[in-house]
Amino acid sequence: MDRSDATVSTLGDMSPTPRRRKAAALAAGTVLLLAGCAKDAPQDYFQPKGENARTINDLQVPVFLIAGVVGIVVFATLGYIVWKFKDRGQDIPEQSHGNPKLEIALTILPAIILAGISVPTVVTVFELDKKDDTECIINVTGQQWWWEYDYATGDCGGVNIAEPIVTSGELVIPAATNVLLRITSRDVIHSYWIPALNGKRDAVPGRLHTLRMQADQPGLYTGQCTEFCGLSHARMRQAAVALNQSDFQAWVDNQLAPYVAPEAGTLAAEGESTYIANCAKCHQVNGIENADGTPVLSEPDLYVVSGVAPNLSKLMTRTAIAGWTFDLITEECREALWNAEPDEFGAMYLNAVTPECLDEVALRSWLRNPPGMKPMYVDSNNLGSTGGKYRGMPNLNLKEDQIDQLIAYLLERK
Amino acid sequence: MAIIERPSAVPATVDGAAAPEFVTTSSALGNFRRPVSTTGWKSWIFTVDHKKIGIMYGAVSLFFFLVGGVEALFIRLQLAAPDNTVLSAGLYNEMFTMHATTMVFLFVMPMAAAFANYFLPLQIGARDVAFPRMNALGFWLFLFGGIFLNTSWFLGGAPDGGWFMYSPNSSALFSPTNGVDFWVLGLQITGIASLVGAINLIVTVLNMRAPGMKLMQMPVFTWMVLVVQFLLLFAMPVITVALFLLSFQRNFGATFFDVNQGADPLLWQHLFWIFGHPEVYILILPSFGIISEVLPTFARKPLFGYKFVVFSGAAIGFVGWGVWAHHMFASGLGPVSVAVFSVATMLIAIPTGVKIVNWTLTLWGGKLQYTTAMLFAIGVIVLFTIGGLSGVTHAVAPSDTQQTDTYHIVAHFHYVIVGGAVMGLFAGFYFWWPKVFGQLLSERLGKWNFWLMFFGVNLTFAPMHILGLQGMPRRMVVWPDKLTGDGFFDIAFWNKIASVGSFVIATGVLLFVINIFVTAKRKVKAPLDPWDARTLEWITASPPKEHNFDRIPTVHALDEFFHRKYEEVDTENGPRLVKVKTAEEILAEEEANADRHIHLPSPSYWPIILALGLPIIAYGVIFNLLLSVVGTAVVLLAVFGWCLEPSVADDSDYDPPTGGDSTKELATLG
Repeated sequence: MDRSDATVSTLGDMSPTPRRRKAAALAAGTVLLLAGCAKDAPQDYFQPKGENARTINDLQVPVFLIAGVVGIVVFATLGYIVWKFKDRGQDIPEQSHGNPKLEIALTILPAIILAGISVPTVVTVFELDKKDDTECIINVTGQQWWWEYDYATGDCGGVNIAEPIVTSGELVIPAATNVLLRITSRDVIHSYWIPALNGKRDAVPGRLHTLRMQADQPGLYTGQCTEFCGLSHARMRQAAVALNQSDFQAWVDNQLAPYVAPEAGTLAAEGESTYIANCAKCHQVNGIENADGTPVLSEPDLYVVSGVAPNLSKLMTRTAIAGWTFDLITEECREALWNAEPDEFGAMYLNAVTPECLDEVALRSWLRNPPGMKPMYVDSNNLGSTGGKYRGMPNLNLKEDQIDQLIAYLLERK
Repeated sequence: MAIIERPSAVPATVDGAAAPEFVTTSSALGNFRRPVSTTGWKSWIFTVDHKKIGIMYGAVSLFFFLVGGVEALFIRLQLAAPDNTVLSAGLYNEMFTMHATTMVFLFVMPMAAAFANYFLPLQIGARDVAFPRMNALGFWLFLFGGIFLNTSWFLGGAPDGGWFMYSPNSSALFSPTNGVDFWVLGLQITGIASLVGAINLIVTVLNMRAPGMKLMQMPVFTWMVLVVQFLLLFAMPVITVALFLLSFQRNFGATFFDVNQGADPLLWQHLFWIFGHPEVYILILPSFGIISEVLPTFARKPLFGYKFVVFSGAAIGFVGWGVWAHHMFASGLGPVSVAVFSVATMLIAIPTGVKIVNWTLTLWGGKLQYTTAMLFAIGVIVLFTIGGLSGVTHAVAPSDTQQTDTYHIVAHFHYVIVGGAVMGLFAGFYFWWPKVFGQLLSERLGKWNFWLMFFGVNLTFAPMHILGLQGMPRRMVVWPDKLTGDGFFDIAFWNKIASVGSFVIATGVLLFVINIFVTAKRKVKAPLDPWDARTLEWITASPPKEHNFDRIPTVHALDEFFHRKYEEVDTENGPRLVKVKTAEEILAEEEANADRHIHLPSPSYWPIILALGLPIIAYGVIFNLLLSVVGTAVVLLAVFGWCLEPSVADDSDYDPPTGGDSTKELATLG
């Protein structure tokens, strides 16, 4: 039986008793929106620190608000109904089957809201894909479980890069500059994400994806690989470091500064030969030479599935090692650096690993047993499926004196 | 008394000229007999009765629910503190992969199949499904597939690539244990179960409805199950293809996903999500169907806008095919694809919103009885709305590039799947328990069960919104102390709360299990129509007789049962609904007019044997192909046995009739 006419009268009975005590409780849902107020939460993506993240934020804040309001309306209505129509011995209600007009209206209403959201969404999608205003290009390559950055020669935000720079962990960019990352991977899929500067972009082997990066101010912005990439996915971290133009120039100059061999007779000099014997198969230090003067060239493609290992030429210009997971500086210095004011950040960063700030505990224990700190697929009995190659850094069984020598040597790589 | 002890001796053979209507053992090609036990374990493992199969689906799914739940608790224990060491990185990866796989494929899907199997024939007034042996096959495939998948824990390690199993991380190079092989082959086996079930239920709905029941008079649960079966029918082949490609890559040297051979890893993502997104609706729609039965029953009025609910369900089923790439907004699809899928995803929020509105308006003006089933159903509206609204924030693609792969997403889909699908299944447990077992679950324990689960879900998953917005990515075995932040949005604090919440949910689930045992022990019989229900399944005894209905009901209206009980009577205060018949009276009427000849399928040996062959083949693929040959032989034997067995058991196979108290002629004819 069709009783739509009866429904109208049922709905007409809406008794206007204004008791909305539940509404207050349900407003707690808006707590979500307060996430933007977090302090010291470095990866809060409601705190954009660059143009692209801000574009996203300008879009997402109203969407969250609309969602919150709709939620409150639904819950307030539901709360009212649940209280109002509780079985108090009333008659069985009329068997009304609906009210098509009301339903069409309630279908169109969300459609209008969603249409309203979709227009700025589409506009933003295209805006975030712009490439014509690029001022600097950096190649970003993911592999298990760290990021490598290759700076092509040429202009980067007004700074000339004369020779290619290869580094890892910390993506150093000029501030207030439109940087375009060209992202790919050498093994599985990873995803590059610096929440304060932009959304994420997957690093897919065999594909090249671009991602805009721009930081308003000098500073350090942390991130994390966000596509599940195997055993040590949780320990594949990264940061973007923005420097003003002169500091960026200084950083580039230092990266390209020639190799300085350790003074003969020092512990570091012993470290150099220990390094050549144990580390140089995979890790490159630019400019290092054998005793006979021939260059020492690494061949990681023979030993590692991804075919690369981090370049250690300027290891001490970075503040963390091993997929930017373990700090090279003390907690105090790290806090100071991360929270530095933009105008003093550059100077602090360019001289971050000072003797006062250096914390070699992690580095030492890393050299002692890398897979102990960061699980990697490096069990030498288990390399059948990889053609004998490692997927991370194996334990080299270094002796304590070798570790001392290596640390002395590496501390000079700055 | 046991019914249908023997075939009817009456019809076919009396007239000597007529050929036997049914092939019996003595007239069959081979000598395979049909099993005939009606009691004991044989009556279960060879059964083709949709109700027994439904109960077995339910019991096994519930077991896997507990397994998946324990896996979840391990995950939350690991994440309760920074740099925790409860699980190793490898074990953690296996744990979250198996948690998702178990919950999706071995709990929610088969539990929905349990409800569909049991209630769909009852709701449309049928005596069984269209293909009863296929139905049994589906169950055994699910069971053996699930066991096979879980044996990976003991045979070298569980799968560790995540339930999405992205290539190339799933290749042998990056996942060298056999875990992924177990995953691929296990899902192939359970996938066959889903496909078989889908075809079976579609044919059943389209062909076996009671006289008079038009499509638009079917209960909404039946409608939603029908939509789900179509989704399965088209989604399962896609994942089957993807799994075959992966299987051949890992085991037989194919290069479908090998980048060095020119493959594009996004191929897998597209294949997976073309299956994977409809899969989300496969998980949620049965639950929508259940609460669309529960809400009207306890509001004492029909579903508001039945047609809108049905069509919005079908619309979700269609549009659900056009949104898969919203799982890939960060994958690098390019702005055009992203924009299109972003808008399509917003589009699907409209039919979903329609459902929320209709459920809410069903309650408006009702006479609401807060039974446990009703509480769970209202819980679904609340929790699913939260999940739906956070879903809209993901549909905004640029915003999703920030949210994707963070805990914000984890919060979203747990609100949808636990808050929506699982809570809906619990509404179904409490609502239909008296129908299936003839006993009411304890309402007291039930309410504790509900409130613990409801608070537990919010305590566990609401904090995950905060974790996500604070930039905590998913699938990380550890989160570092240095990123916790402080104040209200301290990641460490909210991780702890989430972990506590998971144990609150677990307590709620435990109370449900206790409730089952307490109820079974109490042995109190439920009234015939405890909820004053509305649909056909309540027109018969509880538990239903083996043949479901003594007389196939003729349907005149939506909510047929309700309209047989109630009539509108004019009073001085206008028309009033008055109960004119009780359920007992209606049942007695049906019994008095029982059909003369009731045809039911005979049990069969072959479904379970055929199903047993497949995991043997699968073990062979992993360990030794000779084993696969053995498995194939088992499958072939079962296929031949299946084809050659008589369509009905011989008269002489049955025990002599035991008593004469039956006034009805009953037969086990195919």
